[in-house]
Amino acid sequence: MIATIALVQDTFREAFARRIFWGFFAACTALLLFLMFIMRVDVVAGALATVTIFGRTAPRSEELQMLVAQTQSVIAMVLYFAGMALAVFASAGLVAAVFEPGRIELLLSKPISRTHLLLGRFLGNVLVIAANILYLVIGSWIIFGLKTQIWGVGFLVSSFFTIFVFAVMLAVLVLAGVLWDSAAIGIMTTFAIMIVTPILAQRAIIERLLDSEWSRNVVRVLYYALPKTAEISVIIRHVILNQPVESWMPVWSTAIFGAVVLGTGLWLFRRRTF
Amino acid sequence: MAEFAIQTEGLTKVFRNRWSGRELTAVDDVSLRVPRGSTYGLLGPNGAGKTTFVKMLLSCAHPTAGRALVFGRDTREPEARRPIGYLPENHRFPTYLTGRHMLDFYGALSGMEPAARRRRVPELLTLVGIEERAWDLRLGKYSKGMLQRVGLAQAMMHSPRLLVLDEPSDGVDPVGRKHIRDILHSLEERGVTIFLNSHLLAEVELFCREVAIIQKGKVALSGTVEELTSGSGYKVESVAVPERLQTELRAKARSVAAQNGSLTLLYATREEANQAVDQLRANGCEIESLARSRSTLEEVFMRTVESAAGEAR
Repeated sequence: MIATIALVQDTFREAFARRIFWGFFAACTALLLFLMFIMRVDVVAGALATVTIFGRTAPRSEELQMLVAQTQSVIAMVLYFAGMALAVFASAGLVAAVFEPGRIELLLSKPISRTHLLLGRFLGNVLVIAANILYLVIGSWIIFGLKTQIWGVGFLVSSFFTIFVFAVMLAVLVLAGVLWDSAAIGIMTTFAIMIVTPILAQRAIIERLLDSEWSRNVVRVLYYALPKTAEISVIIRHVILNQPVESWMPVWSTAIFGAVVLGTGLWLFRRRTF
Repeated sequence: MAEFAIQTEGLTKVFRNRWSGRELTAVDDVSLRVPRGSTYGLLGPNGAGKTTFVKMLLSCAHPTAGRALVFGRDTREPEARRPIGYLPENHRFPTYLTGRHMLDFYGALSGMEPAARRRRVPELLTLVGIEERAWDLRLGKYSKGMLQRVGLAQAMMHSPRLLVLDEPSDGVDPVGRKHIRDILHSLEERGVTIFLNSHLLAEVELFCREVAIIQKGKVALSGTVEELTSGSGYKVESVAVPERLQTELRAKARSVAAQNGSLTLLYATREEANQAVDQLRANGCEIESLARSRSTLEEVFMRTVESAAGEAR
Protein backbone atom coordinates (compact mmCIF):
# COMPACT_ATOMS: atom_id res chain seq x y z
CA MET A 1 0.00 0.00 0.00
CA ILE A 2 2.88 2.38 0.87
CA ALA A 3 4.44 1.78 -2.54
CA THR A 4 1.09 2.24 -4.34
CA ILE A 5 0.48 5.57 -2.61
CA ALA A 6 4.04 6.65 -3.45
CA LEU A 7 3.55 5.77 -7.14
CA VAL A 8 0.25 7.67 -7.29
CA GLN A 9 1.76 10.66 -5.49
CA ASP A 10 4.73 10.62 -7.85
CA THR A 11 2.44 10.64 -10.89
CA PHE A 12 0.63 13.67 -9.47
CA ARG A 13 3.95 15.44 -8.82
CA GLU A 14 5.05 14.78 -12.39
CA ALA A 15 1.69 15.93 -13.77
CA PHE A 16 1.95 19.14 -11.70
CA ALA A 17 5.50 19.70 -12.92
CA ARG A 18 4.53 19.14 -16.54
CA ARG A 19 1.67 21.59 -16.00
CA ILE A 20 -0.74 18.98 -17.37
CA PHE A 21 -2.82 19.10 -14.25
CA TRP A 22 -2.82 22.87 -14.11
CA GLY A 23 -3.65 23.16 -17.82
CA PHE A 24 -6.70 20.96 -17.35
CA PHE A 25 -7.61 22.68 -14.14
CA ALA A 26 -7.47 26.09 -15.84
CA ALA A 27 -9.63 24.85 -18.74
CA CYS A 28 -12.18 23.33 -16.35
CA THR A 29 -12.23 26.48 -14.21
CA ALA A 30 -12.79 28.62 -17.30
CA LEU A 31 -15.76 26.43 -18.26
CA LEU A 32 -17.18 26.60 -14.73
CA LEU A 33 -16.86 30.40 -14.66
CA PHE A 34 -18.56 30.51 -18.03
CA LEU A 35 -21.48 28.48 -16.64
CA MET A 36 -21.59 30.51 -13.47
CA PHE A 37 -21.73 33.93 -15.08
CA ILE A 38 -23.08 33.42 -18.58
CA MET A 39 -25.92 31.00 -17.86
CA ARG A 40 -28.93 33.23 -17.40
CA VAL A 41 -31.70 31.99 -15.10
CA ASP A 42 -34.80 34.15 -14.91
CA VAL A 43 -36.82 33.73 -11.79
CA VAL A 44 -40.43 34.87 -11.99
CA ALA A 45 -42.56 35.69 -8.91
CA GLY A 46 -40.03 34.27 -6.48
CA ALA A 47 -40.11 30.81 -7.99
CA LEU A 48 -38.45 29.07 -10.89
CA ALA A 49 -41.54 29.51 -13.00
CA THR A 50 -39.47 29.94 -16.15
CA VAL A 51 -35.80 29.44 -16.74
CA THR A 52 -33.77 30.62 -19.71
CA ILE A 53 -30.56 28.80 -20.46
CA PHE A 54 -28.45 30.01 -23.36
CA GLY A 55 -31.48 31.75 -24.80
CA ARG A 56 -33.79 28.71 -24.61
CA THR A 57 -36.74 29.13 -22.27
CA ALA A 58 -38.50 26.32 -20.46
CA PRO A 59 -41.85 27.32 -18.97
CA ARG A 60 -42.80 24.09 -17.15
CA SER A 61 -40.80 22.10 -14.64
CA GLU A 62 -40.62 18.90 -16.82
CA GLU A 63 -39.38 20.91 -19.73
CA LEU A 64 -36.99 22.74 -17.44
CA GLN A 65 -35.61 19.42 -16.25
CA MET A 66 -35.15 18.30 -19.83
CA LEU A 67 -33.47 21.58 -20.79
CA VAL A 68 -30.99 21.31 -17.90
CA ALA A 69 -30.27 17.67 -18.74
CA GLN A 70 -29.70 18.52 -22.42
CA THR A 71 -27.28 21.28 -21.49
CA GLN A 72 -25.46 18.89 -19.17
CA SER A 73 -25.25 16.30 -21.91
CA VAL A 74 -23.62 18.87 -24.21
CA ILE A 75 -21.02 19.54 -21.51
CA ALA A 76 -20.55 15.79 -21.01
CA MET A 77 -20.01 15.29 -24.76
CA VAL A 78 -17.45 18.10 -24.97
CA LEU A 79 -15.67 16.53 -22.02
CA TYR A 80 -15.97 13.04 -23.48
CA PHE A 81 -14.56 13.80 -26.92
CA ALA A 82 -12.41 16.93 -26.63
CA GLY A 83 -11.37 16.32 -23.02
CA MET A 84 -10.52 12.70 -23.81
CA ALA A 85 -8.27 13.72 -26.72
CA LEU A 86 -6.49 16.25 -24.51
CA ALA A 87 -6.16 13.75 -21.66
CA VAL A 88 -4.61 11.13 -23.96
CA PHE A 89 -2.22 13.70 -25.38
CA ALA A 90 -1.18 14.82 -21.91
CA SER A 91 -0.86 11.33 -20.43
CA ALA A 92 1.32 9.84 -23.15
CA GLY A 93 4.41 11.56 -21.73
CA LEU A 94 3.63 10.38 -18.21
CA VAL A 95 3.54 6.76 -19.34
CA ALA A 96 6.64 6.84 -21.55
CA ALA A 97 8.68 8.68 -18.88
CA VAL A 98 8.72 5.58 -16.68
CA PHE A 99 10.62 3.59 -19.30
CA GLU A 100 13.45 6.11 -19.64
CA PRO A 101 16.88 4.48 -19.27
CA GLY A 102 18.46 5.54 -15.99
CA ARG A 103 15.05 5.80 -14.35
CA ILE A 104 13.50 2.42 -14.98
CA GLU A 105 16.52 0.50 -13.59
CA LEU A 106 16.22 2.22 -10.26
CA LEU A 107 12.48 1.57 -10.08
CA LEU A 108 12.97 -2.09 -10.97
CA SER A 109 15.63 -2.52 -8.31
CA LYS A 110 13.06 -1.76 -5.60
CA PRO A 111 11.26 -4.58 -3.80
CA ILE A 112 8.03 -4.27 -5.74
CA SER A 113 6.85 -6.40 -8.62
CA ARG A 114 6.80 -5.03 -12.14
CA THR A 115 3.04 -5.49 -12.23
CA HIS A 116 2.67 -3.41 -9.07
CA LEU A 117 4.96 -0.72 -10.50
CA LEU A 118 3.09 -0.36 -13.77
CA LEU A 119 -0.38 -0.60 -12.21
CA GLY A 120 0.58 2.01 -9.60
CA ARG A 121 1.61 4.38 -12.36
CA PHE A 122 -1.54 3.55 -14.34
CA LEU A 123 -3.73 4.24 -11.32
CA GLY A 124 -1.94 7.54 -10.64
CA ASN A 125 -2.49 8.62 -14.22
CA VAL A 126 -6.18 7.73 -14.13
CA LEU A 127 -6.57 9.65 -10.88
CA VAL A 128 -4.86 12.76 -12.30
CA ILE A 129 -7.39 12.89 -15.13
CA ALA A 130 -10.31 11.77 -12.94
CA ALA A 131 -9.61 14.61 -10.49
CA ASN A 132 -10.06 17.14 -13.27
CA ILE A 133 -13.11 15.45 -14.79
CA LEU A 134 -14.80 15.26 -11.39
CA TYR A 135 -13.89 18.87 -10.65
CA LEU A 136 -15.60 20.01 -13.83
CA VAL A 137 -18.61 17.69 -13.56
CA ILE A 138 -19.27 18.20 -9.85
CA GLY A 139 -18.61 21.94 -10.18
CA SER A 140 -21.03 22.42 -13.06
CA TRP A 141 -23.58 20.08 -11.42
CA ILE A 142 -23.55 22.33 -8.31
CA ILE A 143 -23.87 25.47 -10.46
CA PHE A 144 -26.84 23.97 -12.35
CA GLY A 145 -28.37 22.77 -9.09
CA LEU A 146 -28.04 26.11 -7.34
CA LYS A 147 -29.41 28.02 -10.28
CA THR A 148 -32.27 25.72 -11.19
CA GLN A 149 -32.84 23.57 -8.08
CA ILE A 150 -32.61 20.51 -10.31
CA TRP A 151 -30.24 17.94 -8.85
CA GLY A 152 -30.40 14.99 -11.25
CA VAL A 153 -27.61 12.48 -10.66
CA GLY A 154 -27.33 11.33 -14.29
CA PHE A 155 -24.75 14.00 -15.05
CA LEU A 156 -22.61 12.87 -12.10
CA VAL A 157 -22.86 9.23 -13.14
CA SER A 158 -21.81 10.15 -16.68
CA SER A 159 -18.38 11.25 -15.43
CA PHE A 160 -17.58 7.66 -14.46
CA PHE A 161 -18.15 6.51 -18.05
CA THR A 162 -15.73 9.20 -19.26
CA ILE A 163 -13.12 8.15 -16.71
CA PHE A 164 -13.68 4.51 -17.66
CA VAL A 165 -13.11 5.15 -21.38
CA PHE A 166 -10.04 7.23 -20.56
CA ALA A 167 -8.67 4.30 -18.52
CA VAL A 168 -9.14 2.04 -21.56
CA MET A 169 -7.30 4.54 -23.78
CA LEU A 170 -4.56 4.76 -21.17
CA ALA A 171 -4.18 0.98 -21.34
CA VAL A 172 -3.44 1.42 -25.06
CA LEU A 173 -0.84 4.07 -24.20
CA VAL A 174 0.73 1.71 -21.66
CA LEU A 175 0.96 -1.11 -24.18
CA ALA A 176 2.50 1.22 -26.79
CA GLY A 177 4.91 2.52 -24.14
CA VAL A 178 6.04 -0.99 -23.19
CA LEU A 179 6.43 -1.99 -26.83
CA TRP A 180 8.10 1.10 -28.25
CA ASP A 181 9.07 3.43 -25.32
CA SER A 182 7.48 6.18 -27.36
CA ALA A 183 4.91 8.77 -26.38
CA ALA A 184 4.38 9.72 -30.04
CA ILE A 185 3.50 6.17 -31.17
CA GLY A 186 1.22 5.84 -28.14
CA ILE A 187 -0.66 9.01 -29.09
CA MET A 188 -0.96 7.94 -32.73
CA THR A 189 -2.28 4.49 -31.82
CA THR A 190 -4.81 5.84 -29.34
CA PHE A 191 -6.01 8.58 -31.67
CA ALA A 192 -6.35 6.03 -34.46
CA ILE A 193 -8.65 3.98 -32.21
CA MET A 194 -10.61 7.08 -31.25
CA ILE A 195 -11.10 7.97 -34.92
CA VAL A 196 -11.79 4.46 -36.26
CA THR A 197 -14.26 3.33 -33.61
CA PRO A 198 -16.97 5.95 -34.32
CA ILE A 199 -16.69 4.97 -38.01
CA LEU A 200 -17.07 1.29 -37.09
CA ALA A 201 -20.16 2.24 -35.08
CA GLN A 202 -21.80 2.77 -38.49
CA ARG A 203 -21.09 -0.82 -39.39
CA ALA A 204 -24.60 -1.47 -40.71
CA ILE A 205 -24.05 1.16 -43.41
CA ILE A 206 -20.45 0.06 -44.06
CA GLU A 207 -21.51 -3.57 -44.47
CA ARG A 208 -24.10 -2.60 -47.06
CA LEU A 209 -21.37 -0.80 -49.03
CA LEU A 210 -18.99 -3.77 -49.00
CA ASP A 211 -19.06 -6.44 -51.72
CA SER A 212 -17.43 -9.44 -50.13
CA GLU A 213 -18.46 -11.38 -47.07
CA TRP A 214 -14.80 -11.54 -46.08
CA SER A 215 -14.48 -7.74 -45.79
CA ARG A 216 -17.80 -7.57 -43.93
CA ASN A 217 -16.40 -10.11 -41.45
CA VAL A 218 -13.29 -7.96 -40.98
CA VAL A 219 -15.49 -4.97 -40.14
CA ARG A 220 -17.53 -7.09 -37.69
CA VAL A 221 -14.39 -8.43 -35.96
CA LEU A 222 -12.96 -4.93 -35.68
CA TYR A 223 -16.23 -3.62 -34.35
CA TYR A 224 -16.49 -6.20 -31.60
CA ALA A 225 -12.78 -6.22 -30.77
CA LEU A 226 -12.21 -2.47 -30.46
CA PRO A 227 -13.69 -0.17 -27.81
CA LYS A 228 -17.06 1.36 -28.60
CA THR A 229 -16.43 5.01 -27.91
CA ALA A 230 -19.35 6.31 -30.00
CA GLU A 231 -21.88 3.91 -28.47
CA ILE A 232 -20.70 4.80 -24.97
CA SER A 233 -21.27 8.48 -25.75
CA VAL A 234 -24.88 7.55 -26.58
CA ILE A 235 -25.16 5.70 -23.26
CA ILE A 236 -23.84 8.78 -21.46
CA ARG A 237 -26.52 10.93 -23.11
CA HIS A 238 -29.21 8.43 -22.16
CA VAL A 239 -28.01 8.33 -18.55
CA ILE A 240 -28.05 12.13 -18.29
CA LEU A 241 -31.44 12.45 -19.97
CA ASN A 242 -32.75 9.69 -17.71
CA GLN A 243 -33.66 7.52 -20.67
CA PRO A 244 -33.40 3.72 -20.69
CA VAL A 245 -30.13 2.26 -22.01
CA GLU A 246 -30.85 -0.26 -24.78
CA SER A 247 -27.70 -2.31 -24.39
CA TRP A 248 -24.72 -2.36 -22.05
CA MET A 249 -22.70 -4.41 -24.53
CA PRO A 250 -20.56 -1.40 -25.58
CA VAL A 251 -19.50 -0.93 -21.94
CA TRP A 252 -18.57 -4.50 -21.15
CA SER A 253 -16.94 -5.20 -24.50
CA THR A 254 -14.86 -2.03 -24.09
CA ALA A 255 -13.94 -3.18 -20.57
CA ILE A 256 -12.79 -6.53 -21.99
CA PHE A 257 -10.72 -4.72 -24.62
CA GLY A 258 -9.11 -2.55 -21.92
CA ALA A 259 -8.39 -5.53 -19.66
CA VAL A 260 -6.82 -7.52 -22.51
CA VAL A 261 -4.67 -4.58 -23.66
CA LEU A 262 -3.56 -3.74 -20.13
CA GLY A 263 -2.92 -7.41 -19.37
CA THR A 264 -0.80 -7.72 -22.50
CA GLY A 265 1.13 -4.58 -21.53
CA LEU A 266 1.79 -5.99 -18.06
CA TRP A 267 2.83 -9.38 -19.44
CA LEU A 268 5.29 -7.80 -21.87
CA PHE A 269 6.61 -5.46 -19.19
CA ARG A 270 7.32 -8.41 -16.88
CA ARG A 271 9.25 -10.22 -19.62
CA ARG A 272 11.20 -7.25 -20.88
CA THR A 273 14.91 -6.70 -20.32
CA PHE A 274 15.97 -3.14 -19.55
CA MET B 1 21.73 -17.49 7.01
CA ALA B 2 23.34 -17.19 3.57
CA GLU B 3 27.11 -16.96 3.58
CA PHE B 4 27.30 -14.73 0.56
CA ALA B 5 25.75 -11.35 -0.05
CA ILE B 6 25.87 -12.01 -3.79
CA GLN B 7 26.12 -15.38 -5.44
CA THR B 8 25.70 -15.99 -9.13
CA GLU B 9 25.52 -19.42 -10.67
CA GLY B 10 26.37 -19.72 -14.35
CA LEU B 11 24.83 -16.35 -15.03
CA THR B 12 24.52 -15.84 -18.77
CA LYS B 13 22.89 -13.21 -20.92
CA VAL B 14 22.61 -13.54 -24.66
CA PHE B 15 21.04 -10.71 -26.64
CA ARG B 16 19.38 -11.85 -29.84
CA ASN B 17 18.52 -9.57 -32.70
CA ARG B 18 14.89 -10.32 -33.53
CA TRP B 19 15.32 -9.69 -37.25
CA SER B 20 18.82 -10.81 -38.18
CA GLY B 21 18.95 -13.60 -35.59
CA ARG B 22 22.49 -12.56 -34.61
CA GLU B 23 23.50 -13.22 -31.04
CA LEU B 24 25.71 -11.32 -28.65
CA THR B 25 26.81 -12.93 -25.41
CA ALA B 26 27.12 -10.07 -22.95
CA VAL B 27 27.65 -12.21 -19.84
CA ASP B 28 28.98 -15.72 -20.23
CA ASP B 29 28.54 -18.27 -17.46
CA VAL B 30 29.65 -16.02 -14.60
CA SER B 31 29.75 -17.60 -11.15
CA LEU B 32 30.74 -15.03 -8.58
CA ARG B 33 30.63 -15.06 -4.80
CA VAL B 34 30.72 -11.88 -2.80
CA PRO B 35 31.08 -12.57 0.94
CA ARG B 36 28.86 -10.75 3.43
CA GLY B 37 30.34 -7.53 4.73
CA SER B 38 32.98 -7.33 2.02
CA THR B 39 33.87 -4.46 -0.28
CA TYR B 40 33.93 -5.89 -3.78
CA GLY B 41 34.90 -4.17 -7.00
CA LEU B 42 33.79 -5.24 -10.45
CA LEU B 43 36.17 -4.05 -13.13
CA GLY B 44 36.32 -4.39 -16.85
CA PRO B 45 36.76 -2.41 -20.05
CA ASN B 46 33.79 -0.84 -21.80
CA GLY B 47 31.45 -3.46 -23.22
CA ALA B 48 32.85 -6.20 -21.00
CA GLY B 49 29.41 -7.01 -19.59
CA LYS B 50 29.62 -5.30 -16.19
CA THR B 51 26.43 -3.30 -16.53
CA THR B 52 24.49 -6.28 -17.87
CA PHE B 53 25.76 -8.32 -14.93
CA VAL B 54 24.58 -5.66 -12.46
CA LYS B 55 21.23 -5.38 -14.25
CA MET B 56 20.69 -9.13 -13.92
CA LEU B 57 21.64 -8.90 -10.27
CA LEU B 58 18.85 -6.36 -9.80
CA SER B 59 16.42 -8.18 -12.06
CA CYS B 60 16.30 -5.34 -14.60
CA ALA B 61 17.53 -7.83 -17.19
CA HIS B 62 16.42 -11.46 -17.26
CA PRO B 63 19.21 -14.05 -17.47
CA THR B 64 19.29 -16.36 -20.48
CA ALA B 65 20.71 -19.00 -18.14
CA GLY B 66 21.79 -19.26 -14.51
CA ARG B 67 20.60 -17.21 -11.60
CA ALA B 68 21.59 -14.42 -9.25
CA LEU B 69 21.07 -14.74 -5.51
CA VAL B 70 21.26 -11.97 -2.95
CA PHE B 71 21.55 -13.22 0.62
CA GLY B 72 20.46 -16.61 -0.68
CA ARG B 73 17.32 -15.48 -2.52
CA ASP B 74 16.73 -15.23 -6.24
CA THR B 75 16.51 -11.53 -7.12
CA ARG B 76 13.62 -12.18 -9.48
CA GLU B 77 11.50 -12.31 -6.31
CA PRO B 78 10.71 -8.70 -5.35
CA GLU B 79 11.26 -9.46 -1.66
CA ALA B 80 14.83 -10.60 -2.40
CA ARG B 81 15.62 -7.03 -3.54
CA ARG B 82 14.59 -5.47 -0.23
CA PRO B 83 18.13 -5.56 1.27
CA ILE B 84 19.62 -3.89 -1.83
CA GLY B 85 20.39 -0.21 -2.22
CA TYR B 86 21.31 0.77 -5.78
CA LEU B 87 22.89 3.79 -7.39
CA PRO B 88 22.78 3.42 -11.19
CA GLU B 89 25.28 4.81 -13.64
CA ASN B 90 23.88 7.47 -15.98
CA HIS B 91 20.91 7.81 -13.69
CA ARG B 92 18.06 10.03 -14.68
CA PHE B 93 16.39 10.97 -11.44
CA PRO B 94 13.04 12.70 -11.98
CA THR B 95 13.94 16.39 -12.22
CA TYR B 96 10.53 17.47 -10.91
CA LEU B 97 11.33 15.99 -7.51
CA THR B 98 13.19 17.90 -4.82
CA GLY B 99 16.03 16.21 -2.95
CA ARG B 100 13.69 15.62 -0.03
CA HIS B 101 10.87 14.24 -2.20
CA MET B 102 13.24 11.97 -4.07
CA LEU B 103 14.47 10.24 -0.94
CA ASP B 104 10.93 10.03 0.36
CA PHE B 105 9.67 8.46 -2.89
CA TYR B 106 12.37 5.81 -3.20
CA GLY B 107 12.17 5.13 0.53
CA ALA B 108 8.44 4.48 0.17
CA LEU B 109 9.07 2.12 -2.75
CA SER B 110 11.43 0.24 -0.46
CA GLY B 111 8.56 -0.17 1.99
CA MET B 112 9.54 2.44 4.60
CA GLU B 113 6.78 3.87 6.79
CA PRO B 114 6.14 7.65 6.49
CA ALA B 115 7.42 8.40 10.02
CA ALA B 116 10.67 6.52 9.38
CA ARG B 117 11.12 8.38 6.09
CA ARG B 118 10.59 11.74 7.74
CA ARG B 119 13.32 10.92 10.27
CA ARG B 120 15.74 9.43 7.76
CA VAL B 121 15.60 12.02 4.95
CA PRO B 122 17.24 14.99 6.77
CA GLU B 123 19.71 12.65 8.41
CA LEU B 124 20.91 11.30 5.06
CA LEU B 125 20.91 14.60 3.19
CA THR B 126 23.15 15.98 5.91
CA LEU B 127 25.37 12.91 5.83
CA VAL B 128 26.04 13.14 2.09
CA GLY B 129 26.74 16.85 2.37
CA ILE B 130 23.72 18.43 0.72
CA GLU B 131 23.19 21.85 2.25
CA GLU B 132 19.81 22.37 3.90
CA ARG B 133 18.85 25.19 1.53
CA ALA B 134 19.08 22.71 -1.38
CA TRP B 135 16.82 20.07 0.19
CA ASP B 136 13.69 21.61 -1.29
CA LEU B 137 15.22 22.53 -4.61
CA ARG B 138 14.21 20.50 -7.64
CA LEU B 139 16.79 17.98 -8.82
CA GLY B 140 16.87 19.80 -12.15
CA LYS B 141 18.79 22.54 -10.35
CA TYR B 142 21.36 20.17 -8.80
CA SER B 143 24.92 19.90 -10.09
CA LYS B 144 26.31 16.51 -11.23
CA GLY B 145 28.16 16.12 -7.96
CA MET B 146 25.04 16.93 -5.92
CA LEU B 147 23.04 14.40 -7.94
CA GLN B 148 25.62 11.72 -7.17
CA ARG B 149 25.43 12.56 -3.48
CA VAL B 150 21.65 12.55 -3.37
CA GLY B 151 21.73 9.33 -5.44
CA LEU B 152 23.95 7.73 -2.82
CA ALA B 153 21.60 8.94 -0.09
CA GLN B 154 18.72 7.36 -2.02
CA ALA B 155 20.58 4.05 -2.14
CA MET B 156 21.17 4.20 1.63
CA MET B 157 17.62 5.33 2.44
CA HIS B 158 16.22 2.04 3.76
CA SER B 159 19.48 1.01 5.49
CA PRO B 160 20.23 -1.78 3.00
CA ARG B 161 22.56 -4.67 3.80
CA LEU B 162 23.99 -4.58 0.28
CA LEU B 163 24.91 -1.47 -1.68
CA VAL B 164 25.35 -1.83 -5.43
CA LEU B 165 27.05 1.30 -6.69
CA ASP B 166 27.68 2.03 -10.34
CA GLU B 167 30.37 4.71 -10.68
CA PRO B 168 29.45 6.37 -7.36
CA SER B 169 31.99 9.18 -7.58
CA ASP B 170 31.37 10.03 -11.23
CA GLY B 171 31.33 13.83 -11.56
CA VAL B 172 32.32 14.38 -7.94
CA ASP B 173 35.34 16.54 -7.05
CA PRO B 174 38.28 15.01 -5.12
CA VAL B 175 37.03 16.35 -1.79
CA GLY B 176 33.61 14.89 -2.50
CA ARG B 177 35.17 11.56 -3.49
CA LYS B 178 36.99 11.38 -0.20
CA HIS B 179 33.73 12.20 1.57
CA ILE B 180 31.89 9.44 -0.30
CA ARG B 181 34.70 7.00 0.49
CA ASP B 182 34.47 7.90 4.18
CA ILE B 183 30.70 7.29 4.14
CA LEU B 184 31.22 3.93 2.47
CA HIS B 185 33.93 2.99 4.97
CA SER B 186 31.59 3.74 7.85
CA LEU B 187 28.97 1.51 6.22
CA GLU B 188 31.56 -1.22 5.76
CA GLU B 189 32.36 -1.01 9.48
CA ARG B 190 28.69 -1.59 10.18
CA GLY B 191 28.78 -4.77 8.11
CA VAL B 192 27.17 -3.50 4.92
CA THR B 193 28.39 -5.30 1.81
CA ILE B 194 29.48 -2.87 -0.88
CA PHE B 195 29.61 -3.92 -4.51
CA LEU B 196 31.29 -1.30 -6.64
CA ASN B 197 31.22 -1.13 -10.41
CA SER B 198 33.74 1.47 -11.49
CA HIS B 199 36.21 2.50 -14.14
CA LEU B 200 38.26 4.42 -11.59
CA LEU B 201 40.82 1.78 -10.73
CA ALA B 202 42.59 3.92 -8.13
CA GLU B 203 39.24 4.38 -6.36
CA VAL B 204 38.58 0.66 -6.37
CA GLU B 205 42.09 -0.06 -5.14
CA LEU B 206 41.67 2.42 -2.31
CA PHE B 207 38.32 1.11 -1.25
CA CYS B 208 37.75 -2.53 -2.17
CA ARG B 209 39.24 -5.58 -0.52
CA GLU B 210 38.26 -7.92 -3.36
CA VAL B 211 37.87 -7.45 -7.08
CA ALA B 212 36.83 -9.35 -10.17
CA ILE B 213 37.96 -8.32 -13.63
CA ILE B 214 35.43 -9.14 -16.28
CA GLN B 215 36.41 -9.32 -19.93
CA LYS B 216 34.17 -10.29 -22.86
CA GLY B 217 31.48 -11.42 -20.46
CA LYS B 218 33.70 -13.80 -18.48
CA VAL B 219 35.53 -13.41 -15.19
CA ALA B 220 39.16 -13.11 -16.28
CA LEU B 221 40.63 -12.67 -12.79
CA SER B 222 39.37 -12.41 -9.24
CA GLY B 223 40.84 -12.25 -5.77
CA THR B 224 41.75 -9.89 -2.99
CA VAL B 225 43.40 -6.62 -3.99
CA GLU B 226 46.28 -7.57 -1.67
CA GLU B 227 46.91 -10.83 -3.53
CA LEU B 228 46.52 -9.39 -6.98
CA THR B 229 48.78 -6.39 -6.49
CA SER B 230 51.48 -7.98 -4.36
CA GLY B 231 54.71 -8.27 -6.32
CA SER B 232 57.62 -10.66 -5.97
CA GLY B 233 60.41 -8.14 -5.39
CA TYR B 234 61.74 -5.60 -2.89
CA LYS B 235 62.16 -1.92 -3.55
CA VAL B 236 65.04 0.08 -2.02
CA GLU B 237 65.09 3.85 -2.36
CA SER B 238 68.15 5.88 -1.42
CA VAL B 239 69.55 9.39 -2.00
CA ALA B 240 72.96 10.81 -2.88
CA VAL B 241 74.40 7.49 -4.03
CA PRO B 242 77.93 7.86 -5.46
CA GLU B 243 78.36 6.92 -9.12
CA ARG B 244 80.77 4.05 -8.30
CA LEU B 245 78.32 2.45 -5.85
CA GLN B 246 75.44 2.89 -8.29
CA THR B 247 77.31 0.79 -10.85
CA GLU B 248 77.91 -1.90 -8.22
CA LEU B 249 74.29 -1.96 -7.08
CA ARG B 250 72.92 -2.00 -10.61
CA ALA B 251 74.69 -5.29 -11.30
CA LYS B 252 72.35 -7.28 -9.02
CA ALA B 253 69.18 -5.18 -9.31
CA ARG B 254 66.27 -6.28 -11.48
CA SER B 255 65.51 -2.69 -12.38
CA VAL B 256 66.86 0.74 -11.52
CA ALA B 257 65.32 4.18 -11.71
CA ALA B 258 67.15 7.42 -10.96
CA GLN B 259 65.24 10.66 -10.51
CA ASN B 260 66.05 14.00 -8.85
CA GLY B 261 69.04 12.60 -6.99
CA SER B 262 67.12 9.63 -5.68
CA LEU B 263 67.84 6.04 -6.74
CA THR B 264 65.20 3.32 -6.71
CA LEU B 265 66.40 -0.26 -7.01
CA LEU B 266 64.25 -3.35 -7.36
CA TYR B 267 65.64 -6.68 -6.13
CA ALA B 268 64.21 -10.13 -6.61
CA THR B 269 64.99 -11.43 -3.10
CA ARG B 270 65.00 -10.08 0.43
CA GLU B 271 68.61 -11.14 0.82
CA GLU B 272 69.74 -9.07 -2.18
CA ALA B 273 67.79 -6.08 -0.92
CA ASN B 274 69.37 -6.38 2.52
CA GLN B 275 72.85 -6.61 0.97
CA ALA B 276 72.13 -3.43 -1.00
CA VAL B 277 71.02 -1.67 2.19
CA ASP B 278 74.24 -2.76 3.91
CA GLN B 279 76.33 -1.41 1.05
CA LEU B 280 74.45 1.86 0.99
CA ARG B 281 74.77 2.37 4.76
CA ALA B 282 78.46 1.41 4.65
CA ASN B 283 78.94 4.20 2.12
CA GLY B 284 77.08 6.68 4.29
CA CYS B 285 74.00 6.87 2.02
CA GLU B 286 70.59 7.61 3.54
CA ILE B 287 67.81 5.05 3.00
CA GLU B 288 64.63 6.82 1.91
CA SER B 289 62.38 3.73 1.88
CA LEU B 290 62.40 -0.05 1.84
CA ALA B 291 59.28 -1.97 0.85
CA ARG B 292 57.97 -5.01 -0.95
CA SER B 293 57.28 -4.04 -4.51
CA ARG B 294 53.62 -3.99 -5.56
CA SER B 295 51.81 -3.63 -8.82
CA THR B 296 49.05 -1.08 -9.00
CA LEU B 297 45.57 -2.36 -9.68
CA GLU B 298 45.77 -0.54 -12.98
CA GLU B 299 48.82 -2.60 -13.97
CA VAL B 300 47.05 -5.82 -12.97
CA PHE B 301 43.98 -4.72 -14.89
CA MET B 302 45.96 -3.88 -18.03
CA ARG B 303 47.88 -7.15 -17.89
CA THR B 304 44.66 -9.13 -17.47
CA VAL B 305 42.78 -7.34 -20.21
CA GLU B 306 45.69 -7.54 -22.64
CA SER B 307 46.34 -11.22 -21.98
CA ALA B 308 42.63 -12.01 -22.36
CA ALA B 309 42.62 -10.10 -25.64
CA GLY B 310 45.77 -11.98 -26.74
CA GLU B 311 44.17 -15.35 -25.97
CA ALA B 312 41.10 -14.36 -27.94
CA ARG B 313 43.31 -13.58 -30.97
